Order: sequence, then structure tokens, then C-alpha cells
Amino acid sequence: MSEFISKKDLLTWLGQLMEERNLVAPTRVDDLLLFSKIDQVEDIVFDFDNTTLSPKEWFYPSSETLFYVEQKDGQTELIPAVIEKETAIFGIRPCDAQGMAMNDFPFLEEPADDLYRQHRDKTALIGLACITACPECFCSSMGSGPHDPANVDILLTEVADGYIAQVLTDKGKALLPDNLLTTADVSSPPAPVLSEVPSDGIAEKMRQAFDEPFWDRLADRCIHCNICSYVCPTCYCFDVRDYTDKERIERVRSWESCQSPGFTRIAGGHDPRSTKGSRLRQRFSHKLLYFPRQFGALGCIGCGRCVRACPVNIDIREIIQDVQQLEVKSEA
Amino acid sequence: MKPENPLLPYLSTLQELIDLTPDVKLFRLELNDPDIREGFDYKPGQFVFVSAFGVGESPFGITSVAHHKAGVDVAIRRVGTVTNALHQLEPGATVGVRGPFGNYFPLDEYKGKNIFIIGGGIGFAPLRPIITTVLDYREDYGDLVIINGARSPQDLVFAPEFDTWAASPKTKLELTVDAGNENWTGRVALIPSVVSELKLSPQNAIAITCGPPIMIHFTLIELRKLGFADNQIITTLEGKMKCGLGKCARCNVGDKYVCKDGPVFSMEQISQLIEQF
Amino acid sequence: MDFSEEIRGKAKELLESGTVDCVIGYERATDGVGARPLFVYQPNDIDRLIFDQTCTHNLTKYLLNRKGKATAIVVKPCDSRAINLLINESQVQRDKVSIIGVVCPGVVKAGLDNTSGELQDTCRMCQQHTPVLYDFLVGEPASEADVPDTYPDVTGMEDKSAGERRAFWEEQFSRCIRCYACRQVCPGCYCPECFVERLDPMWVGIRIAPEENEVWNTMRAFHLAGRCIDCNECERVCPVNIPLSLLNRKLGKEVEELFNFQAGIDAETAMPFSTFEKEEKLGISE
Repeated sequence: MSEFISKKDLLTWLGQLMEERNLVAPTRVDDLLLFSKIDQVEDIVFDFDNTTLSPKEWFYPSSETLFYVEQKDGQTELIPAVIEKETAIFGIRPCDAQGMAMNDFPFLEEPADDLYRQHRDKTALIGLACITACPECFCSSMGSGPHDPANVDILLTEVADGYIAQVLTDKGKALLPDNLLTTADVSSPPAPVLSEVPSDGIAEKMRQAFDEPFWDRLADRCIHCNICSYVCPTCYCFDVRDYTDKERIERVRSWESCQSPGFTRIAGGHDPRSTKGSRLRQRFSHKLLYFPRQFGALGCIGCGRCVRACPVNIDIREIIQDVQQLEVKSEA
Repeated sequence: MKPENPLLPYLSTLQELIDLTPDVKLFRLELNDPDIREGFDYKPGQFVFVSAFGVGESPFGITSVAHHKAGVDVAIRRVGTVTNALHQLEPGATVGVRGPFGNYFPLDEYKGKNIFIIGGGIGFAPLRPIITTVLDYREDYGDLVIINGARSPQDLVFAPEFDTWAASPKTKLELTVDAGNENWTGRVALIPSVVSELKLSPQNAIAITCGPPIMIHFTLIELRKLGFADNQIITTLEGKMKCGLGKCARCNVGDKYVCKDGPVFSMEQISQLIEQF
Repeated sequence: MDFSEEIRGKAKELLESGTVDCVIGYERATDGVGARPLFVYQPNDIDRLIFDQTCTHNLTKYLLNRKGKATAIVVKPCDSRAINLLINESQVQRDKVSIIGVVCPGVVKAGLDNTSGELQDTCRMCQQHTPVLYDFLVGEPASEADVPDTYPDVTGMEDKSAGERRAFWEEQFSRCIRCYACRQVCPGCYCPECFVERLDPMWVGIRIAPEENEVWNTMRAFHLAGRCIDCNECERVCPVNIPLSLLNRKLGKEVEELFNFQAGIDAETAMPFSTFEKEEKLGISE
């Protein structure tokens, strides 16, 4: 027996959630599938593989104000930004939820990033297990899986006429009104079969491959745009700048990418990562070598977005495979 | 007392602004909140972010020592937008200070040893607190040799202190410039060749160097030639950084972050880094 | 259409004779359907080269990373115009580049295979099916298609009211994530320091938000007015499907009407905004 919610009850419930908090869910915008703030439940898309952009925007916005500086009568005051409203994200896939858990490592490591912590504390995740998968998906090779309940508050799995509901945390419990769930004799559909990527031992192989010309050859093709970083649920580099208008000053942080030229160039001109190959290597080393060393987990969760979006087919699955097989020149 | 949010600066006041060179000024800063000021402790080698509100913030090595209880000094060279904005401030201005960040020179481990300070240009600034500390506790340390180099005589930082340094016991000050002028009677030589010429002895010694990457590179070669082991050579690195907390993911060299694993590294540690700096 | 064999033959000849040390062409992508750029340095990689209607990338951007190095490159007609642009702007040395031009009936939309026949929108409006510049031509020179209206997309927009146009673009730009893929892929975008990254003065703030996005996208379009060679790469790579070609083609149309000039048709004619004739009055009354 499983806990069950009918499609009709789900819509009613989402409508209630929308009244009391921000409800964020997949929507169709032109040809894209994007997580958007929902004004009417009819806009929610239920039938999808995964969204074009990751839901990281809702924990770690592409741009956000860290604090305001107000200057009045010779006095300066700092006013930190505060996240007021609770948010529920509906339809997050297990891979993306895992992505957020990965971002917790750098952002919540003490001293924690205050805004990120506020977003995280005030956001509940209602996950949707994957019934189908994109050809580029490989989450099961990266420590998660299409039905992974590990990082959501409630996981829903679609079955005939409704969803199996797994309530996994207190936060999830608090979202549900009493008696909304019934029990039903339904069982979970099989998880989709995903392509296998040989991620075992990749950190060590990445270390061995670090000085190989492989990266320069790969960078021949890379155009060094920021697409991979910005569609990625676990890329978290940022830039910080001040904005000034008549009234006040804001300190704003925005996403940045290690791929952009000048990312590491310091005032005065020195750039420790000036070649295309070293920049490209940084992205993959961060995910597959540095992140595991720092936090004990891979920094890629296998959502496949970078594979889909890269204009020149830099394919992390192929890179992992190639690095595993690379014959490293022994140092003579 | 730390604020909840490590990205929030402490409001601070620019107490005094001193011209060190044509493009370097010394900023004497005092944190406004007396409680925070009281608890604000730092060690030689650590750095702070200084905000010019409305433009942004940048990291700077602290040049003062905490035990003088006289606020926070940073020497800032005018090179970019933030440093330009800071240079235009007047005493009394409100700035932001965030920190202190990073590791520090383990001066306790250097007690009883001869210390060689080798700094080039503005890279000399973060080495000054070592000198101050050694001179304040002179009997704790061995000989002190200070090599301060710059492009030209007017670019040598901390000139008003040269006489005090040179007159201190067991202390030698060597100034050098890449190009002199009509008033310059001192040395005209590159820092690495001064290191070589002075025949610094690695016996019971520690060499601490900071400056442009090219200067560090050749200084390192000379020190090794003189017999210094990599764990006797210490440097402090610079990296583009936005947070100081290992979160903005910019200043990493391999899996180490300059902001929190550094900025102070021994050559032994640097040679073990995955990525070249 | 499949010219893979012809391309491989030419690449082999050029590499083995030592004429060039790199051939920039295409190979099959990891999805088994599309194409991706390939850099061939060794004769044993030549068999990876392909050319069919999935070969959408404008490879000429890569010439900017190989300045002064003898390079062969596979170009479609629109791409060939980019080489003229880059020669004209002193970014490419003609004698360092061996150009393998391909007669092109148009390339298919992303994700579709070579046989689908469903062309990208700009290809359906294209009038240039034979490269304007090449050392070797693959395919039979096409008789230029008689396309009655070159800018149906642009005139369609022009028919809308100013308010409608503004609303349209505001919505499009609001999606922009400032990934700069449009710039990075564009052969006309090669400034060592792009205005968007200038800090002093800061033309555009770092915020990824509607106002900044609009400044970014419109300023980029103006920098390309009279320089865009209509390869549609910016629009193809945009991860949020902003119709950038529509913007660039509007400016292309204006320049064509005002100055009777199209970018990259030859390498000699300088683009109108880099020259000034005394008789040009710029509409200012005397």
C-alpha cells in the first residue's frame, strides 16, 4: 500500500500553497520549460523530462542584492537583504534536488552564506520522480537516481489517476493538510534506464590527466561562453559589484563563470589561468576532482543540461569516459 | 563578535591617509562599532576586504599589527576601479571592512631564527607586520635582513620607517631599485640578484618573499641556489577573489583556495599544488 | 547532401603536403545525429571529418585563435562572408588560410538529422548558396535562388506598432541569462575587452536583469550593424531562444537600404561606419 494523492486533489493543494507562499513550478515559456512563479495552477506543466534551466535560480538567484547602504545626514547604515516569504518548489527532479544538496557544501560551510541559508530554510521541495529520461541524463552514475527521495521534502511519483506520495521530512509534513493523502494499492512504475557513465575513481584519473594536452585539444572547440555554468544546477561561482542610484547603494552578486575570459585576471594584469585549456580544465576539475577532495562528493549530478545546451558538444559524459581511458604519459 | 552574514562589511572610518609612493597610499582604518573593534583580532599575513561603497570591494593584506591596538592599516596601490575610488576618499570617509581572512605567517615557529624579508613593489606591504613584530619582540628572533625593491626610488614603500629599521639591533635594510635617478645613491639591481649577492645563509633561517610573480619566480631560483629548502621559503599569493570564504570559487589554485588555505604558503606547499600559479 | 568524402580528400592533400598544420571542419556529435567542430592535426583523424546539412557551426570564429598559423577551414557561403569581414578588419591573413568552400542548400534545425530537410529559418531566406570566397569548391555552384523577399521576418516586425515591438523585445530580453554565447560564437565579436566587461566606465552592470539585458543585447546588435554576415549562429546557440537574428537582420536591412552594403561580400569594401565621405550629409541640415 502506498500513500496516494489524486491529480484533482493535487491541483487543489497546489492552489492552496500558491495562496500562502510563493509556488514555483515548471511552466512553458515559448519553446522553453522554465521554473516560474505560479499565478494559476493551470500554467503548471506536469508532463516533462526536465527544465531548460535548473531550479538553482530559486536558491541562488542569477542576481540578488546582498545588502543596501543608506547614507542620510552624514550617517551610513547597512541594511542586509532579508528573504521574507516562504517558497515551495513543485516538480523538482531528484537530480536537481541533489544539485541543491551539493551547493549546500560550499554555501553552508561555516561561516555560512546568509542569503543562501535563508533561501534554503524558507524553501520546501516537492519532487517529481522521473518516469522518462532525456537521452543525456546520467544521474544514476553520479550518486542519485530517477526515483531518489534523498533531497526533497515530498516525492511524488506519477501513477494512473494520480501520484504516490512519500512524505520525507517535517518540512514536507507541514506543507500537507491533514487527510489529503489516502492509501491505495498502487506500486511505483519502474525507473527509466539511463546511460551509464564510468564515474568510479574519476577524481584520481582527473588528477593524473591534469597536465595532459587533452584539455588544450578539447578547448580548441570550446567557445568559452557561460552556458554550461549557467544551466548547471551545481555551478556556483559569483561576481560582486555595487550599484548606486540617488537614494542608496546596493551590493549585488550575480552568477559568473570560470569559463569567461578574465575570470581570474587580477588588477594589474596577471592571469594565472590565461589559456583556454586551463579554463576548460578548471570546470571539469572543479566538479570531478576538487569538489570530491573538498567535500567527498562529485560536483556533477548528471542532469545532462550542459550536454543539451553546449553549442559545440563539449559532453561531460564523453570527457569522463575519455579521461578514464587516457593513457597518461609516465614522467620520464 | 562576528556578524551573522560574512558578506556584510563592518562600517569603518578612514582615520588617516598617507602617501607612500606616487600611486600607493596607506589607509588607517578604524571600525566604528566599539564592541566589534575590541574583538577584531588579526595576525601578520591576513587580509581584509575594503569597500568603497558604490563601487565595490577588494582584498588587501593588512600592514599593521593587532598588538598596537591602533586599528587596521592597508597599503593600496591605485590599479583598478575600486582602488581608484578608495584613493579619492578623504579622512573621515566611511568605508567597509570585512575580515580578517586567510591564514598567517607562523611567527611563533620563526622564533630564534634568522628572518629574511624580500619584497617587491606593493608586494612588500603584507610583509611589514612581520618586521614590526620582530622589532617589537627583538630578543625572540635572530638576524633580520630586509630587502625592499621597487621600480624606482619613489616607488619604495614605507620610506619613513627605513631609518628606524636600519638602526634596529641585528637588522639590515637593503634597498634596491630597477632604475635610479639623480638623487639615488643606493643599489640599482633586480631583487633576485641582490639575494644572490648577499649570500643569505639558509642556516637556521626562513625567507619570506612577496611581489610580482616574475620576481617571486627568480627570487625562488636564487634562494634554492643558496641552499634554502622549500619549507624555508614562504610566500603570500594573490588571487582574484570576491568573498574571502572559499565560496565564490575564483581564487583556487587546484583544490586549494588562496583566500582560506592561504594566502601564506611555503614553497613546499606550492610545489604540491595541482595547478601552477 | 553529403560532401564528407570530398572534404576528407582535400584535408588529406593539404595536411600531407604541409600546406597547413590544422584543418578545421566537422565531425559527428555524441548524439549521433548532429555535427560539432573538429580540429584535425594528424592525417589519421581525417576520416572523422564529415560534411552534411547538420554542419551548422560557423567555424571562422576559430581562425581568431590561430592567427598567423597556416590553417584550412571548411566554410559555407555565410561563413565565407565572415572571412571577408575578418580580412577587411585585419583579423585574418588571407595567405594563411586555405578555404574549402561548400555549396550549401541550407542547414537543418538543431536536433534534426541530415535527411529531415527542415531548414533553419534564416536558411530559408538565404540568397547565397555558393561561397563568396574559397580556394577549393566542393559541390556544383548553385544558380542563386530567386527569393522574392529577403527580409520577410523583419518586415513582419516592422508592420507592428512601436509598442508591440517594445513589448516583444522586452519579453525576449527578460529571459537572457547573460551567458554571452551569442558573442563568443560570433566572428564579428572579437574585441579584446567587450564593452560589457568594461569596469571603468561601467557601461552595463553585472546584474542579470531586464534593464541590463536590454542594454547588452541592443548594444551588441549595433556593434554588428553592417558587420553581421547572417550566419544565425547567435540565435542557434542562445540557450533561451532569443530571436537574435531578427535583431541583427533588421540592422542589416537598414544598412543595405541606406548604404547599399552587405557585410562580407568582398574583402575590400570597408563597412560604411568605418568610412566617411564628404558628401554624406547624415541628414543634418546645412
